[in-house]
Amino acid sequence: MIAYKFLRPDGTSAFTGFRWQLPNGGPGPWLDARVEPCRSGIHACRLPDLPFWVGRTLWEIELDGEIVEQRSKVAASRGRLLRRIEAWDDELRDEYTRMCADRAHELVNSVSPPLEAWDAVVEPSLPEGPALLGFVAARIAEEIFGSEAYHAERAQQVAWLSERLGLGA
Amino acid sequence: MAPVQEDHQSIAAAAEEAELLVRLRAGDERAFESLVEAYHGTMLAVARNYVKTRDVAEEVVQEAWLGVLKGLDRFEGRSSLKTWVLKILVNTALTRGGREARSVPFSSLAPAGEDEPAVEPERFRPPGEAFAGHWNGYPGDWSSRPEEGLLGRETIDVAKAAIETLPDAQRTVIAMRDVAGCSAEEVCDTLDVSEGNQRVLLHRARSHVRAALERHLDD
Amino acid sequence: MTELHSHDHVTCQEVVELVTDYFEGALPADQADLFEQHINFCEGCDWYVDEMRTTVAAVGRVKEEDVPDEMRERLLTAFRDWKRK
Repeated sequence: MIAYKFLRPDGTSAFTGFRWQLPNGGPGPWLDARVEPCRSGIHACRLPDLPFWVGRTLWEIELDGEIVEQRSKVAASRGRLLRRIEAWDDELRDEYTRMCADRAHELVNSVSPPLEAWDAVVEPSLPEGPALLGFVAARIAEEIFGSEAYHAERAQQVAWLSERLGLGA
Repeated sequence: MAPVQEDHQSIAAAAEEAELLVRLRAGDERAFESLVEAYHGTMLAVARNYVKTRDVAEEVVQEAWLGVLKGLDRFEGRSSLKTWVLKILVNTALTRGGREARSVPFSSLAPAGEDEPAVEPERFRPPGEAFAGHWNGYPGDWSSRPEEGLLGRETIDVAKAAIETLPDAQRTVIAMRDVAGCSAEEVCDTLDVSEGNQRVLLHRARSHVRAALERHLDD
Repeated sequence: MTELHSHDHVTCQEVVELVTDYFEGALPADQADLFEQHINFCEGCDWYVDEMRTTVAAVGRVKEEDVPDEMRERLLTAFRDWKRK
């Protein structure tokens, strides 16, 4: 199965610090691991999972062997990085951050009176980047319209990302 | 990605223990001495859970070893040597009895966070406000500090001092788990607590120590 | 086990209470997932979790008690007595 993985700029995983051998011209080497969801195994995102795991660099990863699908990620016993998704660069990250911030402002002002206390968090959060702003927008949606709106906002983020990154069918 | 070491470790530990028993029964003084040394920290930590003072705890540890020697010929190895020694220790502490021994009211544990939050509630946005429960101001980024400072003599002394001020049960659990490296199972078996309760105690203990380190490092 | 206030996300205040269970591998899969999602976007909690790791490492370096000389002597004597029996 093809999936995606965010890594730090140095190719390490944000959670385990594990250093991946990055693909260079062709796919990287296969890695084997024992699967224990959230504890061990090769973890990756499906397309709908992307907004929850936003990081600095994005890679396409091929998974094989035992694959366990979880709520917002998959864990596999085998995986190899195929290629970097170059479109996910600092510029696009900033654009996504801005998009989420604008959505947050839009949501805040969509009710009367506007949710100013919620709005106050948006701009100061910008330096912390896309992952935080994605959450902020979804959280505000949830606050106004409930749990379904949280997920709808996330789905909209997925759509934006898929389109700009040229991913998915 | 986590290597499957647990099985190898327990097999190695069992083999080491078997060898140690042979040497002990053969009267090898060095084997006995190194066993006493190896378990001392743990035994002291456990004893302090049941008796009032450190001096009494040391006496209890000593008495426990005498009990170990008495029973060594009859030890069949159905449990690990360590578990068996620690059980004798706990019984010694409880039997010593009277005003000095007390059983620990583990059953009176409230769920974590209810009466002993890991971090003071004032450091988070209050309930009912926007982003309630999120940090008011972030804690420090210790990763930007040089490691020698983080894990240097001074910091470790602060940690040690903080452990000393913990309530008995918390101090015992963190001493067993994090200082002595006992497993969760060993702690639960020795102190006769559930895994959940053991975790609550460990959590509170670690949270207190973190706070002490924070006060020290963020000065 | 802690009851979370939402099925969709955790707060920083919840994270600081969940961290020990997380390290122990004792969080149910859903909670572990939300925990990780949170530290992915929340720098403050990422730092806090790191602080807890450092705390455990520092405690791990606390030197264990030495056996007092007197105790060592008494126990060795007892061992020799036991040997002779």
